[in-house]
Amino acid sequence: MTDTHHTLLSIRNLSTHFYTEQGLVKAVQDVSFDIPAGRTLAVVGESGCGKSVTALSVMRLIPWPPGKIVAGQILFEGEPLLDASENRMREIRGNDIAMIFQEPMTSLNPVFTVGNQIVEAVKLHQKKSGDEARAIAVEVMRKVGIADPQRRVDEYPHQMSGGMRQRVMIAMALCCDPKLLIADEPTTALDVTIQAQILELLRDLQKKRNMSIMLITHDLGVVAENADDVVVMYASRIAETATAQQLFEKPLHPYTKGLLKSLPRLGEKKERLDVIGGNVPSPLNFPAGCKFHPRCPIGCNDKRCQTDEPPLKEMVAGHCVACWYAGQDIEKSKDALKHNE
Amino acid sequence: MTDSIQTTKNLQKPIKGRSLWIDAIGRLRKRKLAMICFGIILFYVFIACYVQVAEWTGSSWPTNWDESTGQKYESPNAQNIFGTDIFGYSILRKVLYGTKISLQVAFFASILSILIGVPMGAAAGYFGGFIDDVIVWIYSTLSSIPYILLILAFALVLKDKTPFGFKLAGATTVYLAIGLTSWVGICRLIRGEILKRKESEYVLAARAMGCSGGRIIFKHLLPNTFHIVIITFSLRFMSFIHAEVILSFLGLGEKDKPSWGAMIDSARLDLPKGYWWEMTAATLAILIISLALNIFGDALRDCLDPKLRTD
Repeated sequence: MTDTHHTLLSIRNLSTHFYTEQGLVKAVQDVSFDIPAGRTLAVVGESGCGKSVTALSVMRLIPWPPGKIVAGQILFEGEPLLDASENRMREIRGNDIAMIFQEPMTSLNPVFTVGNQIVEAVKLHQKKSGDEARAIAVEVMRKVGIADPQRRVDEYPHQMSGGMRQRVMIAMALCCDPKLLIADEPTTALDVTIQAQILELLRDLQKKRNMSIMLITHDLGVVAENADDVVVMYASRIAETATAQQLFEKPLHPYTKGLLKSLPRLGEKKERLDVIGGNVPSPLNFPAGCKFHPRCPIGCNDKRCQTDEPPLKEMVAGHCVACWYAGQDIEKSKDALKHNE
Repeated sequence: MTDSIQTTKNLQKPIKGRSLWIDAIGRLRKRKLAMICFGIILFYVFIACYVQVAEWTGSSWPTNWDESTGQKYESPNAQNIFGTDIFGYSILRKVLYGTKISLQVAFFASILSILIGVPMGAAAGYFGGFIDDVIVWIYSTLSSIPYILLILAFALVLKDKTPFGFKLAGATTVYLAIGLTSWVGICRLIRGEILKRKESEYVLAARAMGCSGGRIIFKHLLPNTFHIVIITFSLRFMSFIHAEVILSFLGLGEKDKPSWGAMIDSARLDLPKGYWWEMTAATLAILIISLALNIFGDALRDCLDPKLRTD
């Protein structure tokens, strides 16, 4: 997408599998994308499509057993993370790559004050005395917009609201100035006004610090407002990658088209919203060929879609899609198929 | 004007963080019965400490239990409120001295079993796999042996041994035997709790922050399971007092000094002759501390365990 010089994180052909009692779950298959420095990349997809597993793979936090990264390469500033020792990974985690989670209610340890938890994060990676670390904690709490951080620093998580706790989580993630912030659905558990505030905050901090963000979400509204680049995942694979503008202007994959069609639009009068028919396939039993073919308007009738996995092809500069019929008019292709029969 | 100044001043007052502990203690203080029991426990602890200090400083009362204070088998009277035994020793002094031995044994046995059980349980729960298998195997084996027999075996083996130049005798043998055999319960509880909590998001968040395994266990997981340790401590304390009594009764405990078990053992033969006071004094002492510990431990659990919290 961009030249390697500016690429902060580069994921190549990542595959992560889970060996469960029910069988092999291929949670992430052959995923490749780059995150340029100072940009926001959004990973979009339904629940269980492998977004979070991709993020945890980058952090090397896939629990073994049952999970394992079976193939691929992850380069962070040119350093191969999959070959790094556990000690090196501990240095990177929190310091170079930080992560915030979906559930602010449970991501903070209930028995410590929030100040203590930020101080711990600081002390893990920087040689600072207790007072200095505390000063940093107060400072970073002020930066994430917590009013009156001097007092708030001594509060326990249960004394704070969800939005406040998510701010504390962000403060914890930012206290060591990471180069990459992985935000795993940071606003899903929050109400809409708080969501807007948190995203605004992330945008602000990104501008000030030239930090890259990997934003995992299933909310296309969030993507439209925040992301520079988008990766659409479906059933463990990448369906489409593009810049945000390209994606919203001219989606190429039938899944992305379906997603965008199912959004309500301002000024549009509709009794029911459009839906994509069918269900997300079970990760234990993905369909053969293109994973989307049973729900796809043309794939369900096409032999090739049912047997062959479409590769990710670059259609326009920076816009890749994994579909045999990419760039063709779906309606026309449908007619052509019918004609052949 | 003054009003607005007042408000800002008010705002600057520090909010005092209310930890779960302070919360729990606040709730505990509202329970009258539990507080009475706590008072009784403190009273026993005070007696035990007093006897220990008296022993160190060479003060005579009540460590001079082996002095006759009257005729043999005097029934309770003004001079000897619990009466005297076969040698004319004051039973009050014997009970007081026995308090020290019982509490000492129970305290050290509890500490020992926590020191063994908590790290083992935490390691088993957190690391899983092979470590878990080994620890579970050890405690399953230990717990399949009848408890009293196991303590007896340990006490017999440890008795009069001198590991590291330190002679094991009397009460030391007893609490070593109890401590080395009774860590299974707490180990199991901690293992289960850690197994449950290691999947929680704050542990994942701590790992994403770059914490090592040991740090997560000791800084993040164990403080969250500490209420279990405290509750187990208070409930097991009682059973350790009982274990000491049983061991002394069976002749494996303190030989030369009076403990509650030894008193019951010697009073066993006096009881048919109608000399009931030694037995009564010893059993009353056991009964009261057991009841107090039990009620207090229950109240503690109600207040500390968020899932059982009723108020």
